[in-house]
Amino acid sequence: MRSRVVVTGLGIVSPIGIGVSDFWKAALAGQSGISAITSFDPFPMDGYRSKVAGQVRDFAVERFVDSAHGERVDRYAQFALVSAKEALADSGLRIAKENPHRVGVIVGAGMGGMVMGEREITQLYQQQKPHRVHPNFIPVITLNSASGIIAMAYGAKGPNLTISTACSSSAHALGQALHCIREGRADVVITVGADASITPLVFAGFCSLRALSSKFNDHPEKASRPFDRLRDGFIMGEGAGTLILESAAHAKRRKARVYAEIAGYAATSEAYHMVIPREDGLEVAHTMRLALGDAGVTPAQVDYINAHATSTTIGDAVEVRAIRRLFKSRADKITISATKSLIGHTLGAAGAIGGIASVLALHTGQIHPTANYDDPDPACALAGLSRSAQERRVKVALLNAFGFGSNNAAVVFKHVKRET
Amino acid sequence: MVTDPSISLKIRTSLAEYLKRDPSTILTTQHLRDDLGLDSMAVIELLYRIEEAFDLQIPDQDLVGLTNVGHVVSYVEKRLGKPAKPSKPKGKKKS
Repeated sequence: MRSRVVVTGLGIVSPIGIGVSDFWKAALAGQSGISAITSFDPFPMDGYRSKVAGQVRDFAVERFVDSAHGERVDRYAQFALVSAKEALADSGLRIAKENPHRVGVIVGAGMGGMVMGEREITQLYQQQKPHRVHPNFIPVITLNSASGIIAMAYGAKGPNLTISTACSSSAHALGQALHCIREGRADVVITVGADASITPLVFAGFCSLRALSSKFNDHPEKASRPFDRLRDGFIMGEGAGTLILESAAHAKRRKARVYAEIAGYAATSEAYHMVIPREDGLEVAHTMRLALGDAGVTPAQVDYINAHATSTTIGDAVEVRAIRRLFKSRADKITISATKSLIGHTLGAAGAIGGIASVLALHTGQIHPTANYDDPDPACALAGLSRSAQERRVKVALLNAFGFGSNNAAVVFKHVKRET
Repeated sequence: MVTDPSISLKIRTSLAEYLKRDPSTILTTQHLRDDLGLDSMAVIELLYRIEEAFDLQIPDQDLVGLTNVGHVVSYVEKRLGKPAKPSKPKGKKKS
């Protein structure tokens, strides 16, 4: 029999709070983390169509991580380190007391070390001095710098992997971590999602794709509005989330507090388009169905969906179509929320942060609201969407995440009875 | 071996910033790896800072001789065209 896998620790760096307690309080209050972009200063914002983002304010890595590790990596990996530190402390796991080869790290990251990346590229092209490219440039921008630095900081010598599937990266990281433990290759996997690429070039790229909201530059807190009639694109965010995944047997042995079980996962490709989902929602519905099957639950058992819901016109409507396709009349009985309405789209971190919101819904019975769901778009109408926080005993939660490159992920979490 | 105290100070300050230590605790006799704990990557980062500070380019073949603080100081002096002659005899000296 394959081993069950549980979540025993959480950590987060987000635009509405660093630390799970602050994040969850703000999320339940429907607080927006979206504001005017300041981080480009002195680079002018005038030429950008969109001017707002979900930024992590006043972040200084040395306030959180006391080792030299934080200073040698880019902002996204610093976020990853800080969230991993919180999650490990929360889990009570002491790697020094474990077999370190049984502790893995799997990180999902979409863009990676773009802060240093952009700076070095700019300098090289402007100054034409190749010998002035920073010696740490390559190690910092290499996409596995976060998974590497976390292993070094905590002595985790098990499988060390980075999954990069754009916006769904860390949902796939959760799934791959689940498989890794199920297959007996590790007892524990520190599972992380992280991105910090609100940088002049990356932001311009998303603007040029016409993927970002541009109508709410004067009212940033209103800009991210999944499923609302006035939505006009996603809002870039940044942050990191960590979930400590552990075999149920291992967690029991060390009497760990268990938040939830991670019970199922599916990964598919639509093999359709680099950035546009299939309009009929067929593949998304298929992905959710596969994940539920993997978890051994039926669509009728699902109580909560943490939707991918980025606030784009097409994407949100496709996801709702897929939910209706799979869940049929049950669709209106499921509570649904969009974490991106609060913090924007944190790209590679989104799956992990949505995972944290799902796990907390299972653990606390509280579901955070969907901000700015003021005027429901008939194409996205679902009875379970709400502007206010909801209370519900959630037994099965589903996390959706879809990424550029035509890829889909779905992850299923289950409630776990508290043991004494 | 140190002739120009400003060069020595600049290098030791650069090292001190990197290591988050007081410059006065860094001695020219100290070995970069064995005494100051710099691994090979850290030495490369240090030399990158020194290239910036003195507007120099240090070719790969020159790296091998740069194993202690004094070597780096003499090397920079030589490259800047300042004679590496002792101005006064000097043993171990604190800052």
